Amino acid sequence: MIVIGEKINGTRKQVAHAIQERDADFIRDLAMRQYENGATYLDVNAGTLPQHEPEDMAWLVEIVQEAAPEAITCLDSANDKALRAGILKTAKTPMLNSLSGEQFRIDTVLPLAREFKTELIVLPLDDSGIPRTRDGRMDIVRRLVTLTREAGLPDEKLFIDPLVMAIATGTENGNITLETCRSIRAEFPAAHLTCGLSNISFGMPLRGVLNQAFMALLIQAGMDSVIINPDDRELRGIMMAAETLLGRDRHCMNFNRAFRAGKIGPKPTS
Amino acid sequence: MQELVNAVAEMMEEQAAALTKKYLAEGVAPLEILNAYKEALAIVGKRFEEGSYFVPELILAGEMMKHAAELIKPHMGDGKGASGAKKVGKFLLGTVEGDIHDIGKDMVHMLMEINGFEVRDLGVDVPAKRFCDEYRDFQPDIVGLSGLLTLSYDSMKAVVDGLKEIGVRDKVKVIIGGGQVDERACKYVEADAWVTDAVAGLKCALQWIEH
Repeated sequence: MIVIGEKINGTRKQVAHAIQERDADFIRDLAMRQYENGATYLDVNAGTLPQHEPEDMAWLVEIVQEAAPEAITCLDSANDKALRAGILKTAKTPMLNSLSGEQFRIDTVLPLAREFKTELIVLPLDDSGIPRTRDGRMDIVRRLVTLTREAGLPDEKLFIDPLVMAIATGTENGNITLETCRSIRAEFPAAHLTCGLSNISFGMPLRGVLNQAFMALLIQAGMDSVIINPDDRELRGIMMAAETLLGRDRHCMNFNRAFRAGKIGPKPTS
Repeated sequence: MQELVNAVAEMMEEQAAALTKKYLAEGVAPLEILNAYKEALAIVGKRFEEGSYFVPELILAGEMMKHAAELIKPHMGDGKGASGAKKVGKFLLGTVEGDIHDIGKDMVHMLMEINGFEVRDLGVDVPAKRFCDEYRDFQPDIVGLSGLLTLSYDSMKAVVDGLKEIGVRDKVKVIIGGGQVDERACKYVEADAWVTDAVAGLKCALQWIEH
């Protein structure tokens, strides 16, 4: 599984504070810990007021890169100026989060992805909202993949998000996501699938348990990347177990190595 | 009537509907039945705040209430059904421009209506100008602005600026809501209050109307 670490997000209070105070140590620590816990990509969302966002994004990218030089940044913004400011600071080509069917994102994010040949998260929603059915979401995915192909981006660079909506607000919301996953996997086998899976448990008790169950179901439906808190040990255990059980782990070596390294299972008591 | 209150508060969907039908057949006043629902929903709201009920319970309670309103409708003299009851105030609602999140907004809509507000819901991605135009037409007591993105703060501020421009800012209360809003956002937007869930928004609105 490709893990995208979600923690450097300015909509979280502590991170917002660190950005405001230019607390580089706090951000550095978040980046290092997530990378050590298996995140290949680190999402970077300044989440600040639009006029400060480009500057804050550039500052964050610089620190994240220095703290975890092997990690790839995933620049997360709806503001193309902030995305560009981040791109110009990165040594490794970043991932952009995200393109959707909203016209302003097609007009602003897609040209950046084309210009810098970045990887790109693709969301099946448009100016009229999030379709409530697989078919509605697939229509948007097809339209967007046509555009990315025309822009010269190979499907391998796409991380398509089937979109996860809270199970609390719709009994079928889990199934809609899983069905969309299967359809994307079948139609665009070269593209990656990703999602922010914790949305599923919004407004519910025992969110961790719901997230874990959904992780296993998503992997079965073809998900090969997730946007999560990489420091969540329980979730990591379920993720690795599901991959092993679905035949994605030859002779179970990833699972057993992770166990021996103390990355999964009960925390070793000192 | 306590039996109905309990049925709704305990999420017994079928029992609540059956009791409602039974009371109506027995000639109980529709308003009395509606009050039982309101009492039950207050219990549901309290349990939500205390952390024993969650979003699904709020939604199911809203659905029970809607169903009851349909059952009661033919029994209301003025033909307006449950919505014919006296309104406590007017609430103009929408998710601001650039944002399409609707879960929180829809819950606010439902809770406000259940609690006697006349609600005008402008939907999602609503430009500031539309809020002002609708203000003139609807003359609400409260304007509720929903948004989950930080970009939304500028859109919210544009609505408040618009209300100032048409000279009504001091006549109307503005409340902003969303998972990420806080005191800083509230100050920036120059709103009167901020909340992070629908029940808190309802409480705030009821307090304003009572005073």
